[in-house]
Amino acid sequence: MAHDHHHSHSPCCGISTDIEDYFLTRRQFLNRVGMGMGALGLATMMDPAQLIGAPGPVAASSLTPRPPQFAGKAKSVIHIFAQGAPSQVDTWDPKPTLTRMNGKTISAGGVAMGSPFKFTKMGKSGIEVSELFSNLGQHVDDMAIIRSMYTDIPAHDVATVFMNTGSLRLSKPSLGAWSIYGLGTENQNLPGFISLRAGGLPPGGAANYGAAFLPGIYQGSSVNTQAASVQQMIQNIRNQYLPLKEQRRQIDFVHQLDQMQSKNLEHEAVLETRLESYEVAFRMQAEATDAFDITKESAETLAAYGISNPGPMAARGGARPAAARGGGESQGKQLLIARRLIERGVRFVQVWHGGWDHHQDLEDKITLKAGEIDKPLAALMTDLKQRGLLDSTLVVWGGEFGRKPTRDRNANDADKAGRDHNAKAFSTWMAGGGIKGGTIHGATDEFGAAAVTDKVHVHDLHATILQCLGFDHTKLTYRFNGRDFRLTDVAGNVVKPILA
Amino acid sequence: MKTLSASSLALIGVAFAANLYAAAPAAAPRTVSATDMQFFENKIRPILVEKCYKCHSREADKVRGGFLLDSHDGLLEGGSTGPAIVPGKPDESLLIQAIRYKDPDLQMPPKGDKLSDREIADLTEWVRRGAPDPRGLASKSGAPSKYGGVGRQHWSFQPLTKPAVPTIKTPEWSKTPVDNFILAKLEDAGLEPNAPADRRTLIRRVSFDLTGLPPTEAETSAFVADQSPDAYAKVVDRLLASPQYGERWGRYWLDVARYSDTKGEPEKRRDPRYPHAWTYRDYVINAFNTDKPYNDFIVEQLAADRVVAESSKKILAKDPKAVIDQTSLAALGFLTLGNKFEGRDDDIINDRIDVTTKAFLGLTVSCARCHDHKFDPIPTKDFYSLYGVFANTYEPTIPAELPTLFSRLRKTPELEDYLAKLQDLKANKAKADQEFAELQAEFRRTRTRDQQKNQMAQRQQTLADAALYDLEATHPGAPARAHGLVDVQRSRDYPVLIRGESKNVGDVVPRRFLEILSPDPKKRPEWHDHSGRLELAHAIADPKNPLTARVLVNRVWQQHFGEGFVPTPDDLGNMSAPPTHPELVDYLASRFVEDGWSIKKLHRLILLSNTYQESSNANAKYADIDPDNKLHWRYNMRRLDFESVHDSLLAIAGTLDLKLGGKAIPIGSEDFATRRAVYTFIDRRNPAEILTQFDFPSPNVPTGKRYMTIVPQQSLFMMNSPLVIETARKLTHRPEFLSVKSDEERVASLYLAIFQRPPNAQETALSLRYVESNPGGTSTEAPIATLQSKAASRQAELQAMQAKNAAKNLRGKNAYQAEPGGAAFKSRAPIDAWTKLAHALFQTNEAMFYN
Repeated sequence: MAHDHHHSHSPCCGISTDIEDYFLTRRQFLNRVGMGMGALGLATMMDPAQLIGAPGPVAASSLTPRPPQFAGKAKSVIHIFAQGAPSQVDTWDPKPTLTRMNGKTISAGGVAMGSPFKFTKMGKSGIEVSELFSNLGQHVDDMAIIRSMYTDIPAHDVATVFMNTGSLRLSKPSLGAWSIYGLGTENQNLPGFISLRAGGLPPGGAANYGAAFLPGIYQGSSVNTQAASVQQMIQNIRNQYLPLKEQRRQIDFVHQLDQMQSKNLEHEAVLETRLESYEVAFRMQAEATDAFDITKESAETLAAYGISNPGPMAARGGARPAAARGGGESQGKQLLIARRLIERGVRFVQVWHGGWDHHQDLEDKITLKAGEIDKPLAALMTDLKQRGLLDSTLVVWGGEFGRKPTRDRNANDADKAGRDHNAKAFSTWMAGGGIKGGTIHGATDEFGAAAVTDKVHVHDLHATILQCLGFDHTKLTYRFNGRDFRLTDVAGNVVKPILA
Repeated sequence: MKTLSASSLALIGVAFAANLYAAAPAAAPRTVSATDMQFFENKIRPILVEKCYKCHSREADKVRGGFLLDSHDGLLEGGSTGPAIVPGKPDESLLIQAIRYKDPDLQMPPKGDKLSDREIADLTEWVRRGAPDPRGLASKSGAPSKYGGVGRQHWSFQPLTKPAVPTIKTPEWSKTPVDNFILAKLEDAGLEPNAPADRRTLIRRVSFDLTGLPPTEAETSAFVADQSPDAYAKVVDRLLASPQYGERWGRYWLDVARYSDTKGEPEKRRDPRYPHAWTYRDYVINAFNTDKPYNDFIVEQLAADRVVAESSKKILAKDPKAVIDQTSLAALGFLTLGNKFEGRDDDIINDRIDVTTKAFLGLTVSCARCHDHKFDPIPTKDFYSLYGVFANTYEPTIPAELPTLFSRLRKTPELEDYLAKLQDLKANKAKADQEFAELQAEFRRTRTRDQQKNQMAQRQQTLADAALYDLEATHPGAPARAHGLVDVQRSRDYPVLIRGESKNVGDVVPRRFLEILSPDPKKRPEWHDHSGRLELAHAIADPKNPLTARVLVNRVWQQHFGEGFVPTPDDLGNMSAPPTHPELVDYLASRFVEDGWSIKKLHRLILLSNTYQESSNANAKYADIDPDNKLHWRYNMRRLDFESVHDSLLAIAGTLDLKLGGKAIPIGSEDFATRRAVYTFIDRRNPAEILTQFDFPSPNVPTGKRYMTIVPQQSLFMMNSPLVIETARKLTHRPEFLSVKSDEERVASLYLAIFQRPPNAQETALSLRYVESNPGGTSTEAPIATLQSKAASRQAELQAMQAKNAAKNLRGKNAYQAEPGGAAFKSRAPIDAWTKLAHALFQTNEAMFYN
């Protein structure tokens, strides 16, 4: 059953400090014309010059924060997507047998490729952590590592979208969209779901943060954090011609014209989404610039995230190629922005970190990849903890599938070899809101070729994330074309052992 | 493949000559049990691949001892020392003696690289079992593979036949046969189609639909006044004949062709640009405008080099001095302009198979790269049959070696200058390459590696390469070229790569067409005409191909109505939803082939129907029965895509430059604020932010249908972008607007320009009140600049400067950072009440949708 509060769409209002007056105007306007677009019409047409009045109550909107089904530990999510399928046996799933068999033909099919990386016991839990993540390993007592992940198809585009939507073929809403649908968002001046990328779109594009058949306002807003400045990250965030008051008057006028036109069109969902999207855009002008501006962080914080130059890069010729692939300091920037967003009440932040597809030269390439995020991610964990945000923020790290324990390309040269795709095993970890730290869940076989114990499917992971947010995944549904849809389709089991 | 040098071409020849396998006698039918198969795959094949193939396979640089063991026959036949194995008798088998390292003269693998005891035991056991070898089984038997048999009965694989036009209860409603098919189903469901849309709505709809632009005021009023029975048909024909039609529909095809001006992941040390990609874009636009028969369109995009060679031979036979127009060579950009995957041939070929099969056949053949297709009857072997086709081609490595669009160029001072510079830069590049090669040789000789020297040498190569690309991209005398490709001189078949792994070589498969689409799957002709590209093209463009016409018809229908018969235009296989109107698909597809593959005739058949002309009015009862309007009881409201938003604003303001074609336009440049968006520079790796926010598809995958989003960034663009606001200013400062006498008439004038309709009384009243309550008054003169706008002007100038720099930098690295059309607007002068009104009207739903 869909929740009742999702059927009461109405034009939105928000809370702000800077431009409060104009919102009050808006609220009052909407309250006078009644709830919802249906009631807006010619009879209630107002003089656009006379819209300023006394404050009224805040009208409910699609983005208004609302309680979950039960008390969830996590209020927000940072999902770091290590796209390209990171190798599990080099990161979170040590395999001594594989190392022993290095260079030998093994039953997993092919020549064993032992991990070139050392694993060390860390934290009170003594979980073995790859030297690739020596910084992040300091937080292992906060992490629950699922070593028995598996998925359906080992093809990047399909599996990436699958990890985000639980759907292989049909266009379905993304995890972030479901979260906002369920919970609304705390900060009405920012989109509730923001997808951060350092460069181009991820494989599968907007489907990874799409709303599909959910109301379009739950769609993630994609932001290129490699842009030279905040103004270019969120282009057109400033109107250079109109003061806010004038702009408010203009937008209200536009909305009125829209109402007059839409009476014949049964496309309210699209038109309403557009109206809500305008309102979010208007309010973003007050806060987005600040939210994305990491130059406002202290030197210590910047250093912790590994950022030496938070300012504009355009003057020096723009993004370097490494940055375009998510390298350089781009992950530090992204994670710091993610924290600023979470701190400001954004519900769901997706962080894209691509380039984990290591068919060859794995040792060099994965060292580089992990090196891009190890320190910043450790810094994020510390930072969240220090600010008291880790308890209410669910941090998720993982890719779309895993890799084989055997050599792929350059098989004759152990130093240059890589690993092929593997849907049967990969590792994902979670930390923070609702998670029992210092936990290992599930296991793969002796080589790490396939998950064998306590296997966790993508649907199970989704069910667990929703559980942390306070939802029974079987009951967070949306009726579309006569059927109640849910993120986990007809599957999904909550991974209870990793819950706090 | 794509970057083969002359020496590697020679290598292919060697490999071909060494391919004894091809001449091997056919094996007697044999079978391998499941256990033996497993044993071979788990134990034996990995050893052979890892330890033996380096010297004893067709992929080997030099085959040793004339012995190949990458096939069953090769093993039995053996090499210069005789048969390698005697099945069942390990002790008599040379192979086993060699790996045991007992005989000092017969030791394999050589140089003491002895196999492990386990491996020796496995191989011995295998020979003892009779050397069961599954390699080559299916291809030898000639029977269809036991895999890939799934879903053969799927509708789209069945032969295309032309269904009878259904009879309907109200035949007078039918304007073209399309209506009979649509109405028959509506009648079955007890629904009635909506009444026709009014003329203003209709001309707006069909204009956006065919050209991506709104009709002009004059066009609209002429249509409204035209009482002749063919008034609407005249509009359709005018639009189909306008060059803007090709720009609109060509862009749809460019989405499918995953078109981009850059390589995404360039080959090592190569420039990321495709300096002549625009010639493919222009070819596509021109193909639509000239209504090039679709079958020719297919053949040219896959094998224009062969078509041109054939036609030029004829022309030159008549007139040896004739200048050949070989513009259609640019069609090959369909294949060549994909991602370059850092030069990884496997991935490049995979991309070409993907785009070819999705675009023309609506099939996801690339899913069969690592395993037989899970849902469609496409075995892995079929993938590698096509792999062989594309593997036997190569592309020049530097753009100046690409063919020009005309066989001879007229000498101009610019051309002379270009040629002189080209010569220098080529020499420069050759020098850098040579120095790099010498350095590598030195490293090998001295067994050292000076990283600094190495990097320096690489840097020189990169710079030399970039200079060549710069010359191509920016020199005014640089002749237009086609990003073509040609076949290698001696083609060969390629093996299956098991699980898609490059080291895991399976059977060689002949180049031939997909089994499921072949008229007689058991007698599929093998392709030997060079690479087989031309044969592939003809097999796709064959009127008997069950998919080609259906796929195209579905694409065209989707663009006209917002949704196709099948909702997944790039996949009509088993995973797609069944078509809403299967008979109509087949009728249109049959008509399309009969009509000489004419897309314009197909448009007419659809556009002149009553179905297309229905109004989009809502009907609550019908919305319950058929919420998705699958039955077409009304026309679907359509949102403008990015190109239409951009182009229509400029068209409305009268600033749109209708110049056709030419080099790509950087997003930050002044031209972006006047030219059509189809000419925008598309950077595969970093698409411009504005494109991304407005759902422009990723140029990495063929996209027949854009994912539609509504996000705040789109609203911010409409609210705040100088491109939008300055365009509103231009609209309200045209003399024809300024000369309007009354405020009412001004409102009406804006409504006519933007919505092609007059405002109603309430809209006029509301608009006037909006203008009159403007704090700065109602004059068309803006008030004196405020402090804010002065600061804004400074910022604008800075942005304009940055944009200009970005525009110069055609490498596209900064393209996404630039503000669209930023360079065109150096000031942020305050705007007056009327500009605010026009700007407001731009932002309404009515301006962003058509219905």
